[in-house]
Amino acid sequence: MLGAEVTFDVALPKVVWGWLVSTNMWAKSISTGAFFIGLYFIKKYPDNDAFFRKWLPLLGLVFIGITLLVTILDLHHEFRFWKIFLFAHFTSAVTIGAWVVSGYVLILLAAFWSWVTGNRKIFDRLVIPGFILAFFSTIYTAGILAQSTAREVWTFPAEMISMLLSATLAGSAAYLIVGLIYGSLNEKIKKELSYILFGSAGLLAAMFIGELVFAKMHSEYAEKVVEIMAFGEVAPWFWGGMFLAFIVPMVLVGIAAEKKKFEYALLGSLSALVGLWLIKHAWLIAPQSLPLS
Amino acid sequence: MRLGFLVDLSRCMGCMACAVSCKAENNVPLESWRLRVKYIDQGEFPETKRHYVPLRCNHCENAPCERICPVSALHYLPNGIVNVDHDRCIGCASCMMACPYNAIYIDPVTNSADKCTYCAHRIEVGLMPACVVACPTHANIFGDLDDPESEISKYLQEHRDVMVRKPELNTKPKHFYVRGSDVALDPLASERPEGFTLFTEVKFLEHIGGH
Repeated sequence: MLGAEVTFDVALPKVVWGWLVSTNMWAKSISTGAFFIGLYFIKKYPDNDAFFRKWLPLLGLVFIGITLLVTILDLHHEFRFWKIFLFAHFTSAVTIGAWVVSGYVLILLAAFWSWVTGNRKIFDRLVIPGFILAFFSTIYTAGILAQSTAREVWTFPAEMISMLLSATLAGSAAYLIVGLIYGSLNEKIKKELSYILFGSAGLLAAMFIGELVFAKMHSEYAEKVVEIMAFGEVAPWFWGGMFLAFIVPMVLVGIAAEKKKFEYALLGSLSALVGLWLIKHAWLIAPQSLPLS
Repeated sequence: MRLGFLVDLSRCMGCMACAVSCKAENNVPLESWRLRVKYIDQGEFPETKRHYVPLRCNHCENAPCERICPVSALHYLPNGIVNVDHDRCIGCASCMMACPYNAIYIDPVTNSADKCTYCAHRIEVGLMPACVVACPTHANIFGDLDDPESEISKYLQEHRDVMVRKPELNTKPKHFYVRGSDVALDPLASERPEGFTLFTEVKFLEHIGGH
């Protein structure tokens, strides 16, 4: 007996979670990344924190708003989303995520009110719960992917660290873009943001390449997913993402920080955000390209 | 009571009576399937073999779809069936991402997740699932796994070649196959070239998520 081939079957679903879910993960990275990085600079430079006290809630709210919008749009019953609160099933990372993000939105609204009224104490009192909620808002998607038993590659433990690094990459890129457009950041902070972006891009690139190499040893299914991602139909998204999210920003931001030419950092940051979306999309659709039965 | 299913693949002749009766019984829309029969051709002439594989929900004891459903639309019944509440479902498709057996679909009419329920509505009134009744060769064997005298329990005791799909995922399926093979049960053990074949067009559906 030689090879085998399917000769009769029904049409199988392929990509079920598409660009709306990729956008969800991408926008959430920017929102929680803006929280982490903003908090770091507020604590480190308390005398020079006006920029971050303004842009932390603004970036946080705008991008968590996009996250929530695309999440609801992706539901086949958009107007039933409230059931997640009324009939919550807490074994599901989706449910936990919905509750955690709701808390995170409340913290961001308080941070926004703190900036509008100039009452710094409101935000200062919410730093610890805010950090905890931002942290879990970042990683709960890794929990959803881990519960997606059918999809190899999503279920790897490194996904959680990958989400955190995506947040620091996206947060630093967002602040660099805003800061360079409005010219309201001093050189020291711009340089530090550039190094955070550089480091996050380097570590994230190493993780993606590492997962690509080691996933092959996990199972036949994972090996096929890696094949699709590295050489198959998803390869342009994946390698395009690798180039734009990691290589271009590392070069441009590195030049910007060392040569003090921060216009390069603006380009590098834009490239990082575009590339991050591409690589998240590739990671999302590759495991959906294989037949499960 | 733990209801389970067993398919004796040596008895299946690929007639699709089970698939058709399932669609009729459960009003399954044309482009969706709760139960399907896949044909796999193996070998090179004259050494050839055709496998017929009925595929449906495995009603796992450790069901990933039940765990990931954010609103408990997918839930266990006391008899072990993993049931769906269409009115509860929010259509997030997490269950489709979690199910390793591709057994769940979004019903294009109700927009809710749906799948084989072992005909829970028929079992409730003492009837067998529609596919069991329709099978002309009694390849589908259905019954209580906790009852040692049930036909399915005896079948499991008497056969050494009992298989489940993807046992490594620890989902503990309550759907068994007898006289199966890797080619029949492992989707990666056979090629799935898209396009027209001897019988039909084998293809993937375009993106069905989002709007």
